Amino acid sequence: MRAPGDGHGIMAGDVLLAVDGVSLSFGGVKAITDVSFDIRKGEIRAIIGPNGAGKTSMLNVINGFYHPQKGRITFKGEMRRRMRPYEAASQGIARTFQNVALFKGMSTIDNIMAGRTLKMHENFFWQCLRHGPAMREEVEHRRFVEEIIDFLEIQAIRKTPVGKLPYGLQKRVELGRALAMEPELLLLDEPMAGMNLEEKEDMSRFIVDVNNQYGTTIALIEHDIGVVMDLSDRVVVLEYGRKIADGSPAEVSSDQAVIDAYLGVPH
Amino acid sequence: MSGTASRDDTFPKLMIRNAATRGDLPAVRHKDFGIWQTWTWREVDEIVRCYAWGLRELGLSRGDTIAIVGSNRPKLYWSILAAQCLGAIPVPVYADAVADEMVYVLEHAQVKLAAVEDQEQVDKILSISDRLTGLTHVLYDEPRGLRDYDHSRLHAIDEVIEGARKAFASDPAAKAAIDASIAEGAGSDISIILYTSGTTGRSKGVMLSAERSIAAATDTVRFDRLDEKDEVLAYLPLAWVGDHYLNFAQGLVAGFCMACPESAETVQQDLREIGPTFYFAPPRVYESLLTRVMIRMEDAGALKRRMFHYFIDVAKRYGEDILNGRPVPLSGRLLYALGELLVYGPLKNVLGFSRIRVGYTAGEAIGPELFSFYRSLGLNLKQLYGQTEAFLYVTAQPDGQIRADTVGPVAPNAQVRIAESGEVLFRTPGMFLGYFRDPERTAETLTEDGWVKTGDAGFFEQGSGHLKIIDRAKDVGKMASGALFPPKYVENKLKFFPNVKEAVAFGDGRDFVTCFVNIDMTAVGNWAERNNVSYASYQELAGNPQVYEMIASHVAEVNRSLAGEPMMGGAQIKRFLILHKELDADDGELTRTQKVRRGFIAERYAPLIDALYDGSTEADISTEVTFEDGRKGVISARVKIADCTIFPVTADTGPTEKAA
Repeated sequence: MRAPGDGHGIMAGDVLLAVDGVSLSFGGVKAITDVSFDIRKGEIRAIIGPNGAGKTSMLNVINGFYHPQKGRITFKGEMRRRMRPYEAASQGIARTFQNVALFKGMSTIDNIMAGRTLKMHENFFWQCLRHGPAMREEVEHRRFVEEIIDFLEIQAIRKTPVGKLPYGLQKRVELGRALAMEPELLLLDEPMAGMNLEEKEDMSRFIVDVNNQYGTTIALIEHDIGVVMDLSDRVVVLEYGRKIADGSPAEVSSDQAVIDAYLGVPH
Repeated sequence: MSGTASRDDTFPKLMIRNAATRGDLPAVRHKDFGIWQTWTWREVDEIVRCYAWGLRELGLSRGDTIAIVGSNRPKLYWSILAAQCLGAIPVPVYADAVADEMVYVLEHAQVKLAAVEDQEQVDKILSISDRLTGLTHVLYDEPRGLRDYDHSRLHAIDEVIEGARKAFASDPAAKAAIDASIAEGAGSDISIILYTSGTTGRSKGVMLSAERSIAAATDTVRFDRLDEKDEVLAYLPLAWVGDHYLNFAQGLVAGFCMACPESAETVQQDLREIGPTFYFAPPRVYESLLTRVMIRMEDAGALKRRMFHYFIDVAKRYGEDILNGRPVPLSGRLLYALGELLVYGPLKNVLGFSRIRVGYTAGEAIGPELFSFYRSLGLNLKQLYGQTEAFLYVTAQPDGQIRADTVGPVAPNAQVRIAESGEVLFRTPGMFLGYFRDPERTAETLTEDGWVKTGDAGFFEQGSGHLKIIDRAKDVGKMASGALFPPKYVENKLKFFPNVKEAVAFGDGRDFVTCFVNIDMTAVGNWAERNNVSYASYQELAGNPQVYEMIASHVAEVNRSLAGEPMMGGAQIKRFLILHKELDADDGELTRTQKVRRGFIAERYAPLIDALYDGSTEADISTEVTFEDGRKGVISARVKIADCTIFPVTADTGPTEKAA
């Protein structure tokens, strides 16, 4: 796989994405209140918090699905207040979903190929004919998709309709589709929910490998604290839409506010 | 095949011959990124020479050993060839061995280099490298995940080959040195050391010489008429003698193409895509394929299902006779041809068996029904009996003499003798030179006059000259009457019934044989459903009187067949019971490879055995069980004991001897 573009000269360790004073509410419900944090290039950043803390909303804000009422988001040094999902995608933000969102009737290959759509440029006419330049383009992209399949070790299910696959494998295919976009920032929404121990171990390895080998920056939401502590470089903790802690796994896990949020406070 | 000229007495020389005589034909295939990549013999020749130079640069020289660890990858096979070019000795190791097991083999073999598949194996080797005194460098095939490793002792095979290519281009002497090294190789050199899997004690390193290996492979290539147009899928463990013989050695001798699967999980699909002409699988593979076919047919539409069963019946009636060249009525032939078009052809295509000319099975007994099923479809499935020490073939079934219950007559140029004790002894063309650094156990295995002891008890069937293997010699017992008691032989006969999952026979030193039976939940459960027998658990189904009747009829069938066989008449099962729980590896009753641990079971269920022999009709038992999550519990039950029909012995002769 090719390494993703270096994004306007941003070096590893520089801030890739900054969230600054973001607030989001739905009518009277405040999902996120004045949250600020940043994601540095090349790191694995975890967003954790109890149920309803606003984690998924935060991801939705980052990839432009929700528009915050207040605050700024800076991606690759460019500030923008409104980023639409397709803009986010074409700028190099890919994501997976909490409940798998694949095309169930399509094969693994086709699902991952779908992730290449934004990279295909031949015109509609040629695409319809599937000849000439369109075919050449498809071969090129298929090669890339095969590399992902090899990487995720899903050769055996290449042609299986994803609806027939067990949940753990569907999650892997979904990661494959996100990787097909060659993202600079990969958003993973509970990549290990509903998995057994072995599947979790596999998925952890893939996440670390993606980060190591391709330098992809990863932001992940995860409930399994063990996984979060092992994988991530830095952790931001949300509770009721507010940021209550931010730092290394060790710092966060000894933070009193975090312990209270998870274990409750005696009244 | 023009036969092997005397100068082609090592595998690298055969490789050069193949590159010269069939240079443009495919030698190796490997599916990578979804596409089958192919290398011709000429390309392989070039790569292997380069690789050999690279290994030489890393310090590998004549007589040194190099470990080969991983799944069936072209580069690992080339590692074997490249080492042989230098006169070094490859030592393939089972890829799934844990680090501690690997230490023993690698240290015992005193390996200097290791060529491994990927990060997993590199990690394993590195984790034990402080205990491997001779190891200097590690080479790997798959670079993934290894980028940040310290590369002072670690090398990508690709880079080693590429480096050598540059050296060859700039320095003609380099190429000449490799040519000279290959020419220097002699047939008497040790070609490879294959370590036994070590189910009985420490693994032993079986040393095989090049000329003997090639002689053996030449015989069987001729026996099965294999040539350069054949194709195999190399999916068996690289370190196992079967893979080395059937794919590597036969491939080089016959010049056929060896395809390496994409991954272990894709073997079934790869098989279909490649369509091998020569195939080997242990019985359980054939069994699981058949089960899968049957289950899928149950889900098919009514028309397809009826068509399938109708034509499978036709195949049962005529298929084997057609394959064996026996007379079949014209109507039968026509029906079979129609069946081939509608059912057998498509079915074989789905299984990847369309092009198979010769299929083998070995390793354990195969059920006669299972065997007949595949043969009736037109698949030329045969049995062989072999050992690592023999470099595989000891006996094999020639076309036209195929049976489920024997392992065939003595293989070409091999000799077999039955010792006084009933143990099978052999001398074969591929016979080993001895165990590596273990003269003591070499001496134990050889008789004074140079025959190899197999440790298996067997006999030659009178008339046909086919060898029948009874059991491991040390497991064969004697009954109080002096009659032979081969537990596994009896158990296997019972296990061939789909309703019987597991059987444990007792009788050593006793007056008669008794047996524990585990019913097969799927088969018997299915039967119960069809016959309106309701049950809530294994225990309840196992205790059902109708189930007892059914198993009793199976036991009677086994007894009838034992009565008709030489020496086996005394081993008929007089009483049996159906165990109240399934035997389980978690409870220590089976090994992890699902083999019965007879001694342990006898101890654990002692009250049941007592009841079998004291004539009672019921017995109480309570046993501790381990659940999947590790919790322990107790199952107690009252188990019924049933008596069986015993048949008069019709054939009983002493041991026979035969040397071919």
